[in-house]
Order: sequence, then structure tokens, then C-alpha cells
Amino acid sequence: VRAAWLIARDELRLTVRNRVALFGLAILVALSLLAALTAIAHRDANESLRARFQASANQVFDAQPARHPHRVVHYGHFVFRPLPALAAFDPGVDAFTGNSRYLEGHRQNSANFGDVRQSSLLMRFGQFTPAFVLQAVAPLVLIFVGFGVVARERERGTLRLLQTHGVRVQQILAGKSLALVALAGVMLAPAVLALAWLVLANEAPLGPALLIALSNAVYLLIWVAAVVFASSLVAYARTALITLTALWAFTVILVPRIAPDVGAAAAPGLTRLETDIAIQRDLRRLGDSHNPNDPVFAAFKARTLQLYGVTRVEDLPVNYRGLLALEGEKLTAKLFDAYAAAQFAQQTKQSRVADAFALLSPAIALRRVTMALAGTDLAGHRRFLLQSEAYRFAIVQQLNQLQATALSYADDSNRNQDPAAGRRVRIDPKHWQAVPDFAYQAATPRDKLVAAWPGLAVLAIWLVALVGAAPFVVRRVQAAAG
Amino acid sequence: MSLWLHELRLFLRQRAAVPTLLVMMLLASAAVLAGMAEIARQTDAIARIQPQQADDVAAIARWVSQDGDAGSAAYYTFHATWDTPSSLAFAALGQRDVVPYLLRVRALGLEGQLHESENYNAELALPGRFDWAFVLIYLAPLLLIILLHDLQSSEREAGRMGLLQAMAPPHARLWQRRIGLRMAALFAALIVPFLLGALASGSRPAAVLAVVLLAAAYLLFWAWVAHGIGRWQLSSLANAAALVASWLCLTLIVPALAHMVIQSAIPVRQGVELTLAQREAVHAGWDRPKAATMQAFFNAHPEWRQTAPVTSGFHWKWYYAFQHVGDMHVANQVAAYRQGLEARDRWTRRLGIILPAVGVQTVIHRLANTDLRAQLAYQDRIREFHAQLRRFYYPYIFNEQPFRQAEFSQAPRWSTGHAGSERE
Repeated sequence: VRAAWLIARDELRLTVRNRVALFGLAILVALSLLAALTAIAHRDANESLRARFQASANQVFDAQPARHPHRVVHYGHFVFRPLPALAAFDPGVDAFTGNSRYLEGHRQNSANFGDVRQSSLLMRFGQFTPAFVLQAVAPLVLIFVGFGVVARERERGTLRLLQTHGVRVQQILAGKSLALVALAGVMLAPAVLALAWLVLANEAPLGPALLIALSNAVYLLIWVAAVVFASSLVAYARTALITLTALWAFTVILVPRIAPDVGAAAAPGLTRLETDIAIQRDLRRLGDSHNPNDPVFAAFKARTLQLYGVTRVEDLPVNYRGLLALEGEKLTAKLFDAYAAAQFAQQTKQSRVADAFALLSPAIALRRVTMALAGTDLAGHRRFLLQSEAYRFAIVQQLNQLQATALSYADDSNRNQDPAAGRRVRIDPKHWQAVPDFAYQAATPRDKLVAAWPGLAVLAIWLVALVGAAPFVVRRVQAAAG
Repeated sequence: MSLWLHELRLFLRQRAAVPTLLVMMLLASAAVLAGMAEIARQTDAIARIQPQQADDVAAIARWVSQDGDAGSAAYYTFHATWDTPSSLAFAALGQRDVVPYLLRVRALGLEGQLHESENYNAELALPGRFDWAFVLIYLAPLLLIILLHDLQSSEREAGRMGLLQAMAPPHARLWQRRIGLRMAALFAALIVPFLLGALASGSRPAAVLAVVLLAAAYLLFWAWVAHGIGRWQLSSLANAAALVASWLCLTLIVPALAHMVIQSAIPVRQGVELTLAQREAVHAGWDRPKAATMQAFFNAHPEWRQTAPVTSGFHWKWYYAFQHVGDMHVANQVAAYRQGLEARDRWTRRLGIILPAVGVQTVIHRLANTDLRAQLAYQDRIREFHAQLRRFYYPYIFNEQPFRQAEFSQAPRWSTGHAGSERE
């Protein structure tokens, strides 16, 4: 063990003396710090902007004058997806999904104004975040610093010299790995600081933050092993450099771009336009609310009359128009939910197929883990879509209920002909203030862990496989040294 | 000529040569095929919606035409629009995966409809698309680096440099020839799949030529970088490291940094603000005296001033008037939002003058019509179409004429003139 320590210390001393390596390391740390600072500022600004928009939307909703409740159904509400604190580490799909949604009766609108539609193509080069620096850039710097750790010794003949002095190959590789692990630790430090800041100052959950740090550490360990192994197995340092760079380009740049195509092809989905048309078609099949003789709505009418024991809608103790609105909204909402569920299932399948490529590229596994733990994965967006739809349904039905109970059928029917009735159907604004505000429930640490575990498992598989390959590499080095 | 052949033989005998060229060919072919498949999928979707859309309109026409209420016709009928991919889009898919290329609009306020999102899997969009432009911008330089990093240093390291310099008098020619040869070979492996794809897609020759020249210029830039670093007389190893570091900076780090700077320097929160404002303006219409709404509307559309006035109660005239007044109300914000987006795009273009990767990215996507400008141009065509729809419905609404089956079939249709993506 002592020999390994000595070798590690020696290697580190060499790195410090090697200006190129030191420069690369310094640049990475600087980039990492810059990414952390800007990402935190960006997230804070975005979050406060959304909070402000949400507050003003709540305020204008409550400040509505006396109105017919159905007008308020069409006036609708705006909700904004809050940005979790850990989005400062990995914003995930935040910029690729709309973050505001207009909620109104009878319609399910999309979440709009994602950054991706508001940006030039520059966005597709990648976003500058701590996650990006650690996933994409840090491995390349590790490669630059480490490709020669063993190959250089071999080229100079010092590898054999060490062995003749009784240093075992295991000790050499362990020492070299240790040195690279120390450098990886330096690379990780700014990100860990940023995570600590997010936990302390922005109330980011501790468990997920720790796990993000840990999984990035494992990812860098995987690269350390790859660098040391490649450096051990090739004859020349240059071959190690080219092999490792190719490996990096393949796993970090190429595979993450190919995986989505395969995923999308595995489960093609409907466009929004087709979904809209299909929903309208199903609605017509369900019953035509415009047709007074439609069997579905005729049956609803009969059922309602029977329930209240009257023969005419005019005799109902409640406003029949409100009841109709309640029933209609229930039917459409059920369809919206069914189509949304189908779309979610299809997209989950796509993502799962794309995630399988993590077996070829640990970067994909790491991205899954950090997005899931930060709450910025597709599941996080889906939470927002589901909760905002549930909220839409709840407030629309609350307003429809008001129409049924606070308005008389006669007034509601004559509101356009009789000015007095028109005034009476405009009910007091206190009713709008009684509508609860949207309260987004973020994923719990447990939810996040469930979403992250496939990625964590793949990272563990990679690490175990590389550690398991160590004896093989040691034997090859021994054999090569004769 | 024989010199070139000789050099080619030398080149192909190198261990990295044939695999590198094969990888280039394979990646370029896969990217072209993937791009063509994606475009076929989009074209299919556009074709697929036509009968569905016709059925949808027919179903509405069936019940609306019974009492012939034009206001209901305009309210319930959605009109499909689409953005046909250009014949070069297969090579640079750009933003078409995240921006709707299909959108339905109706004659109500447009601003609430224009910013609808497409149903796409954001996790799949996040890493960017695998298309030919990606292979050109990111991967081709890396492969060129493999071929060029040891061009001079390997001769030096093998001890042949002195010999080479002593032998051929104009020895700059030798390096030009060697670099040119490697570049040409890699270029061929990159461009042939593209040309085949362009042929299959019926791309415009001028645009194809532009892409070919652009790709050549881009590779030339990287060859120049490799040659420049080669002249520092470093070891092959240091050359490779320096080149990969340059690549990392020029294609990943600096663009990502620049994106961040542009996004924060030019905020575009007007998008949300204008939808909030438009909704306020539209809904305030219900509470405002009807005469005020009609007055604002007549200022924009004096041709309907003389029609029967709206008195009490509900009238479609008034309804469509305040829908349009809502749009007019936010015209300034719409313009500001648009200017913000264009400013972001403009700065990206300026950046492209300095950063070749960004420059190639912007030019190729402009040629393919898949960039932000294409997205805004599609929105402009939708605006035009929406105005056409309003002009179509207004006579029935303001003159209170019945709207029957025949009228449904006369409604404006999104035509090839709207859909054409090849202009500019």
C-alpha cells in the first residue's frame, strides 16, 4: 500500500509540474465555478420571475369584478411551474418544456413558453451548467491529464524498472489511479460547493443533493478506471490519448444523440393536432351537447329530473344549465385524462428505450440520475401537467357548481334578453377569492429516488464491471512486461 | 499526378486512415438516413391529418349548418396549418422537433393560439438531434484531427523530417498536398452520403452547392488549425491534445457560454406577459360598454361601421370584435417579443462570424429553413392566414348572413403558398 501512495504522490507532483495538465485542471475548476455561479443566478432569477407571474395571476383572478360564473370559466387561470432549487445544478428539461399553462373550461392547453422556442439554435450546443461541465468536460480533462500515466512509464522503460525494484503491477496501477482520483476530487469540488450552497441557502433537499454529488463522483471514478486501463493496455501514450478521446466522443457526444432517435422510433406518438381532433371526435361519440335531442344528454336530463322528482327543468331547485356544465366538463376532462395518460405512457416508453443506451454510455445514466434527483426530468414536468390539470378541473367545477346553485335557471336563460336578469347572474367577486390558489406539490425525495434508481444501477454496474476488469488489466501489463 | 497517387498510397497504408474514413462514411450515412426518416415522419403526419381535419370540419358543419349561425361556425371550426419541411431539412433538422409544424387556428384572438406547444418528449430533445449537420459540426473535425495531428510530428519523430526538407525544394507543397489529400478523403466520406440524400430528397442544387462549399470551408478551417498547431513543432501527443482542446472550446464550451450570455443579456419574458395581457384585454371586453369595443374595432375595420349596431345582450359581432381588439391591444408587446427573439438570433449570427462551428450551424439551418427565423416565418404565414379567416367570416357575422354547407367548403384553406418552406 505504501508503494501505491508513493506512486500516487509522485504522479501528482509530476502533474503539478506539467504545465499543460495543470492548465487543463485550472480551466476546468474555473469553468465549474463559473457554471455553478451563473446557473444558481439563472435559476434564482427564473424562479422569482415565475413566482411573480404566479402571484400576479392569482391577484388578477381574485380581483375580477362581478361576473357570470361561466365567464370566469372562460377567463380561466394561469399557472407556472416552479423551478426546484437543484435545477441550478441540472436544469434538465426545464428549458425544453413550457413552464406556463393557461387553464380554462372545456379545453386543455399545452404548457407554453419554453426557452427552447425562444432561443436561437445556439441552445442545441448544450447549456452551461455544473452538470454539463462534470458530465461532458471533466472526463476529457481527466483523459488529457491521465492518458500517459502508465503508457508513458512503459515508453520510457521505467515501468520495467519499477517492477525490477519489486513494485508490483497492482501497486503501480493503484497508485496511478489514486493520483487521478485526487485530481477528479479537485474537479468535483466546485460542484460539491455549489450543491452545499443550494442546500444551505436555497433549501434544496439534502438527500438528493448528496446523491447527486455521489453519482458524479462514481461517474468520474468510472472515467479514472477507463483512463488508467486504456493507458495500461496500449503500447504508446498517443494511442491511449486517441482511443480515450474516441471513447469520450462516442459515449458523451454520439450515443446520447442516437439514443433519442431509437427511443422515438420505438414508440411514435400522436401530434398535438391529431390528439385534439381525436378528442373532439370522441366527444361527439359521447354525446352532442349542441343537439337538444341527443340521447346522452336526454338521458342525463331524465336522470336529473327523476332525482329531484320534478317534470320540468324549470322546476328544479338548482340551475339546470350549471348541472349541464358540470356534466359536460366531467366528460371532457375524462377524455383529456385518458389521452394524457396514453401520451405519458408512450413517452415513458421512449425514454426507457433511450435510457437502455446507458449501458453503452455512463453519461446517459448520470444524466438520468441528476435530472431525476433535481426534479427536472420529464416526470417532473408531468407532475406539473397532472397537477395543473387536476387544478383546472377543480376550479372549473367549483365555478360550474356556483352556476348551478347561485343562479336561477330563469335568470340564466334570460340573461341576454332581460337586463335585470343579466345583472343578477353576475355574482359577487368574493366567490373568485374563495377559489384556492395553485399549490404545486414537488416530488418527494422518495419519488426522486424511484426515478433515479435505474441510472444509479447502471452507474454501479459500470463501476463494478471496471473494478472487476482490473485483474485482467494487471495480468496484461505483467505479460507485456515479461 | 503520380506524386498524388504516391501520397495516397502512403496515406492509406497508415493504420488510422481507412478506419477513420470508414467511420466518417458510416456516421454521415447514418445521419442522412436518420434525418430522412424524421422528415418522412413529419411529411406523413402532414398528410395524415388532412382527412382527419376534413372529418372534423364536416362534423361541425353538420350541426352548425342546420341553423346556419355564422358565429358558431367561426367559433367551432379549427383550420389546420402546416409547415412543410424544405428539401434540405433532412440534413439539418434544427428546431423542427420542438416547434410545432402543425397548428390549428380559429377566428378568435390569435395571440392565445399562436404559442401552443407540440407534444414532444423533452428528454429526447434535450441532447440535440443526430443529423448530418451534427456529424459535420462536431464529429468531422474530431476525425480530421485524428488524421492530421501527427502529419509533421510523426515525420520528425521518425527522424525523416531533415531528409524531407532536404529533398523536395518547395517543401511547403508537400504539406499542402498531404493535408489536402487527407482533407479531401475525409470530405468525400462526409459529403457523398449527403449528396445521395439531397438527390433522394430533391434538394435545390444551389442550396446543395452552398452546403458543399460550407462543409469544405469548415474542414479547411480545422485543417488550418491543425497545420498551425503542427508548426509549433510539438510532439504528436501534444498536437493531439492541443487540437482536441481547441475542438472542445470551439464546439462545446464557448457556444454554451455564449448562449448563456445572450439569454441573460436579452430577456424575452414578454412572451408570457403578452398572453396575460391579451387575455385581460379580451375578457375586459365583456365588462366594457359594447360601444367602446365596437368603436375600437371599427377603427381598424371601418368597412363594418355601417352594419346594424349591437344593442343589448350577446351578439357575435361584438364577440369577434373584442377578440380582435384583444389582439390589437397587445400588438406592441408582440412586436417587442419578436424583437427580443430576433435580437437573440442576430447575436448568434454575429457570433457565427467568429466561431466557425456556430457559423456553420446558423448558415446550414438557414439554408434548410429549420431555424428560429423559419419558425417566425411560419408564424407570420399563420398570421396572414388568420387575417384571411377573419375576412372570410366577418361578412357572414356582420351582415348576419346564414352560414351553410356551401359556405363551409368556401372557407380559406392553408395552401401550398402558405406551406412553402423553400422561399428566401
